[in-house]
Amino acid sequence: MTEILIKNGFVFDPTNKIDGQKMDIAIKDGRIVKKVNECNAQIIDASGLTVMAGGVDLHSHIAGSEVNLGRMLRPDDHVKDAVRKTALTRSGTGYSIPSTYVTGYRYSKMGYTSVMNPSMAAMKAKHAHEELNDIPLIDKASFTLLGDWWFALENIAKDDLDECARHIAWMIRATRSYAIKIVNPGGLESWGFGRNVHSLDDQVPNFGLTPRDIIKGLAKVNTMLNMPHTIHLHTNNLGIPGNYKTTIETMQALESFYKGDKPVGHITHIQFSSFAGDNWAHFKSGAAEIANYLNAHNHMTIDIGQVTFADTTTMTADGPFEFSLYELGGHNKWVNSDVETEASGGIIPFEFKRKNAVNAIQWSIGLELSLMVKDPWKVFMTTDHPNGGPFYHYPRVFAWLYSRKAREATLKNCNKKAQKKSLLPTLDREYTLYELAIITRAGTAKALGLKDKGHLGIGAEADVAIYDINPETTDIAQNYKPVRRAFGNAIYTIKDGEIVVKDKEIVAVRPGRTIWLDVQTKEPCRIDDELKSKFKKYWTIEFDNYPVTDHYIKVPEKIGIKASV
Amino acid sequence: MGKIIKSVVCPICGCLCDDLEITVENNEIVKMKNGCAVCEAKMVHGYKSEERILEPHIRKNGKLVPVSMDEAICKAAQILTDAKYPLLFGWTSSSSETQHVGVELAEELGGALDNCCSVCHGPSVMAIQEIGIPTATLGQIRHRADLIVYWACDPWSSHPRHVERYTAFTEGRFEKSEFKGYVQKLKAQASQKKVALTMRRTQVRYQQADSQAATVEAPPQSLIRAGRKMVVFDVRKTMTADVADYFVKVEPNKDYEIFGAMRCLALDQELDVDVVGGVPVEYLREIVNVMVNAEFGAIFFGLGLTQSVGRFRNVEIAIALTRDLNRKTKFVVSPMRGHFNVTGANTVFAWQTGYPFALDFSQGYPQYNPGEFTANDLLRRGDNDATLVISADPGAHFPKSSVKNMLKHPLITINPDWNAISRLGDVVFPAQWCGIEQAGTAYRMDSIAISLKKVVEAPKGVPTDEEIIRQILEKVRVIKAQKTEKVEKLDDFGNKNIAGGN
Amino acid sequence: MITLTPKRIFDVPIQAACISVDVFTGKSVEEIKNLLITEGKETITLGDAFNVIEDSTIEMPTVVLTGDFSKVKRVGQGMKTGEIIINGDAGMHTGEKLAGGKIVINGNSGGWTGCEMKKGLIEIHGNSGDYTASTYRGTSTGMKGGLIIIDGDVGTNVGCYLQGGTIKIKGSAGRYLGYHMSDGTIYVEKDCASRAGAFMIGGKIIVNGVMELMMPTFTIDGIKPKVKIDANQNAQGPFYVFLGDLAEHGTGKIFVLKATNSALATYEKFL
Repeated sequence: MTEILIKNGFVFDPTNKIDGQKMDIAIKDGRIVKKVNECNAQIIDASGLTVMAGGVDLHSHIAGSEVNLGRMLRPDDHVKDAVRKTALTRSGTGYSIPSTYVTGYRYSKMGYTSVMNPSMAAMKAKHAHEELNDIPLIDKASFTLLGDWWFALENIAKDDLDECARHIAWMIRATRSYAIKIVNPGGLESWGFGRNVHSLDDQVPNFGLTPRDIIKGLAKVNTMLNMPHTIHLHTNNLGIPGNYKTTIETMQALESFYKGDKPVGHITHIQFSSFAGDNWAHFKSGAAEIANYLNAHNHMTIDIGQVTFADTTTMTADGPFEFSLYELGGHNKWVNSDVETEASGGIIPFEFKRKNAVNAIQWSIGLELSLMVKDPWKVFMTTDHPNGGPFYHYPRVFAWLYSRKAREATLKNCNKKAQKKSLLPTLDREYTLYELAIITRAGTAKALGLKDKGHLGIGAEADVAIYDINPETTDIAQNYKPVRRAFGNAIYTIKDGEIVVKDKEIVAVRPGRTIWLDVQTKEPCRIDDELKSKFKKYWTIEFDNYPVTDHYIKVPEKIGIKASV
Repeated sequence: MGKIIKSVVCPICGCLCDDLEITVENNEIVKMKNGCAVCEAKMVHGYKSEERILEPHIRKNGKLVPVSMDEAICKAAQILTDAKYPLLFGWTSSSSETQHVGVELAEELGGALDNCCSVCHGPSVMAIQEIGIPTATLGQIRHRADLIVYWACDPWSSHPRHVERYTAFTEGRFEKSEFKGYVQKLKAQASQKKVALTMRRTQVRYQQADSQAATVEAPPQSLIRAGRKMVVFDVRKTMTADVADYFVKVEPNKDYEIFGAMRCLALDQELDVDVVGGVPVEYLREIVNVMVNAEFGAIFFGLGLTQSVGRFRNVEIAIALTRDLNRKTKFVVSPMRGHFNVTGANTVFAWQTGYPFALDFSQGYPQYNPGEFTANDLLRRGDNDATLVISADPGAHFPKSSVKNMLKHPLITINPDWNAISRLGDVVFPAQWCGIEQAGTAYRMDSIAISLKKVVEAPKGVPTDEEIIRQILEKVRVIKAQKTEKVEKLDDFGNKNIAGGN
Repeated sequence: MITLTPKRIFDVPIQAACISVDVFTGKSVEEIKNLLITEGKETITLGDAFNVIEDSTIEMPTVVLTGDFSKVKRVGQGMKTGEIIINGDAGMHTGEKLAGGKIVINGNSGGWTGCEMKKGLIEIHGNSGDYTASTYRGTSTGMKGGLIIIDGDVGTNVGCYLQGGTIKIKGSAGRYLGYHMSDGTIYVEKDCASRAGAFMIGGKIIVNGVMELMMPTFTIDGIKPKVKIDANQNAQGPFYVFLGDLAEHGTGKIFVLKATNSALATYEKFL
């Protein structure tokens, strides 16, 4: 393997408390090393450039049945953004839901090297993995939807969390997944008969438990299994005015699990769960309340799910939410896709418009949250791709965060009513490059428990992004446009010690790894005839045909986990 | 004693039943348990066909002669690279792995790529692109549906285990099987028939009176009861209709009007007409009431909608009705996909290119337009100048004008047996039976990926179609590289190279 | 005036969006000959496929295509000014997204002619294919303005998602005419196949011949002696006026000539 030496760059590596110091980064055999022999190594002159670890995206819908249904749904979207084949790269299409290869190329061009696929129905896991294999240049992992899985619900209702944990461990292995994803707990099961739950204490029909029970039960299970990531939670009442109260209640419900060391829950795309006001007419931001809570507590992390004003495609496992969104009117297509015993799903093409009061306030909420939560290790940058906007709009979001001027420029063009309601004019904070590195790689990697990612310390994976930003000579807040452009087009992206992007172009294509957890419980899940017959009752696939086999993962990275149950 | 293999997946229809028990003796399937008659026909008998292609053939002087694999690959690759606009068609009886390489080949060739769905459920996909779809996996319907509507399809004949595994005759968590009720009904019908027979013997006029009776009966009382109900809409009384609680005979090509009327009725609109598509509006109103009062309803539709007048618009309005019903209760709609991996072809094409079928790579990037790039339309206009057919038989199923145009240019076929298209080919490849001799992935009609199993060894020397496509792809790349080398040599002599682009 | 004639019979489709007045303007014949087009997958120049002749004495029409252009796609795509005359059959997507100027086709035209057009005029002195003046898959914005006149018959799905402008069909129309239209006018001088105006929410369709079958989702609104097609043409009735599509709570209007549609007389009882 080649050795690489990145010389004289301004390094931003928050994990190792390096804040823009000029230093060299040495790479050998796909890892960061102390030093390499300069004679043998390929030298990258990074003087005047910013060096960061490869980006780690914690929540981006890039593959799976839902995503692909979205692709199939929108030829009108692809026709705007056709990508030509080159000698090295495959052809494909964008725009809001890029085809698999294009997804890999575009992430890599932004200097991202790891992406979490946060919503995978267990039954459709094979499909998700087949697609992930086709996303080159980035490492991937998937979170299995387990919040409305009948096995889990029944065991939580029986208060048999040990059994529940064993089942979930089996499921994490069977679906080759990385974390427990909970979407509108109880709501998806209710949606099976066209209903929904509206508070943490509503009864889930037919199962005798509440969303609160599910969240607490699975949070407990998560700690019992020693999972590297916390539960990954999409709250109840998402997308409904006034839902910030539910969000705070949800966070309160998890307070007792906090042991003082690490967070116990992650609320994803919280922008969609931070709405105040009683109805759409009185819609306003609940960011301040959420931020105050987070500033006073340390047991939660969040990602924002920023709106970027794009003609995009919303997709979530939250079927009832998508239907209520559809009923608001103005949409030409609606997809609902329920998955037996596990989950549901919905897709709607959606255009976020500056001139729409609600959309503009949503845009404002995301930024308010990012700016008002003081500790950047608690709040991460996502657009909930493609829900708030496509992932390659990230640089726009960066600009809004590091430049007050950029925010003002956009706010000026927003709906007048939204401008009045926005808290942004009162917020002076501007992110530094150090803080940006936290919310895009160091913090996300830490929250995910990926120890070798998101930083440039000795032994870390050699995933590096080099951007054309000179922090010494540039005031990034004032000159936000060139910096924004620089974040969208990395000068170099290095993946596992190989240069894959050079001078903003893809120069090498390699498959990324699929990370999954081999969770071993002390006493394995009993696979007896009783379970098998139950399985047959619950699903329309045989037990033997259910798990994802090795065949479906081209480059696996298995992480062994010993559970404490 | 043979070896028993359990949980084998049936590679025939979109149901992908995965509970077969196969007994293999001396590398031959001798017994099959749990499968339907169609499955038995292929898995136990059909695949052993004497018409099996065992080696590659090339047409020389008008006759197909056996050749080596290398020669056939070279010839095929040469044909495809020489062609200005080749068409690659078929794919639906291949594994997803094969389809995956197929997209790469089409892209490399800059040709058109289409799968059999353009002549079956392609219109369903087009309808989804217009309006979306509220749908569910089959298990969701099994657990919850208390009203099942089969529209313009006859699963009893085409997807024999659909009713038994996924809908009316299966035990769900919240809804129970109606099989017992069906048996009782059968018994009652048998005695009714006896009575009718006696009547007919004694009273000749009875029969005449019967045939003059209204073609559509009024909805029976049994539709209002609790439990699962099954309603069938079709142009003729099918086997499925015999099983159903209620059968509505629809005038051919009038499905669209009926759906339209039902949509209005679901919205409590009044209609100016009394009869739509041969069905009295009053009956339709009652059916709509039953739909609205269902806890969970499911509509399955078949080729009767997608391939009759109106095609994708028929599906679109079926989806529109389902969508409207969701405002009052829970309703889902689902196409009865035919070939076992036609859903897979859509899926695999879509994740690589964004489009599910009817693709064109001539511009270096994917383009999509059914009607323009669909195989039949291309062939009918005579747009392509070479064809590769894989795991399909357009020779038997395409219109004459299409096949005629296809045969004007070189034709490459990849199929396990000597079907119509293989006999017409210029380069003919053998292939393994996917799901019997070859493992791989297939997508069920509700796009659930299921792993097909390999249960017996293929005849010696017969490769998988994936291997063939892969080899052709490699050869094509070699030929293209040689060509560009030539061009580069020309450059040395000072000629301008204008081709290429980015 | 630039004249293009095919050098040979094409056996695979040609994509030539560059055949457009906007592109030709300000270019010499040599430059025009060097414009890139594709024949199947091969990239060739316009000069490889066509004879290009300039006659500088004639200013209008700017471009004349003579011969069989039925395999040449996307002629006049997005054109803003000038005039193209096609003496022969035109291929698919001719004049798609037209934003101005004029295209005259002295022959038949392929599918998707004048698709998603915004402004300008297309005259087809022959028949026109399916999806004329319509839209592409999955898109819900159709033709927004301008005028299309077709002397012959048209295929199915003509004027889908029409949002403005006028379509005049002097022959007969296929199924799903004006499907999902929200504004604009479609006039059919002869017969109209069934399912016209399905899903329509606005605009008007005028049928001067026999209407095969009214969608049951329309309700009769009255009888009108005449109806305006555009600023300089009226259609003489009396016409039955239907309102719909009820299933979409639409307020589109279909005018059907009373004289030729005795089958619709049953609706009169509701008036």
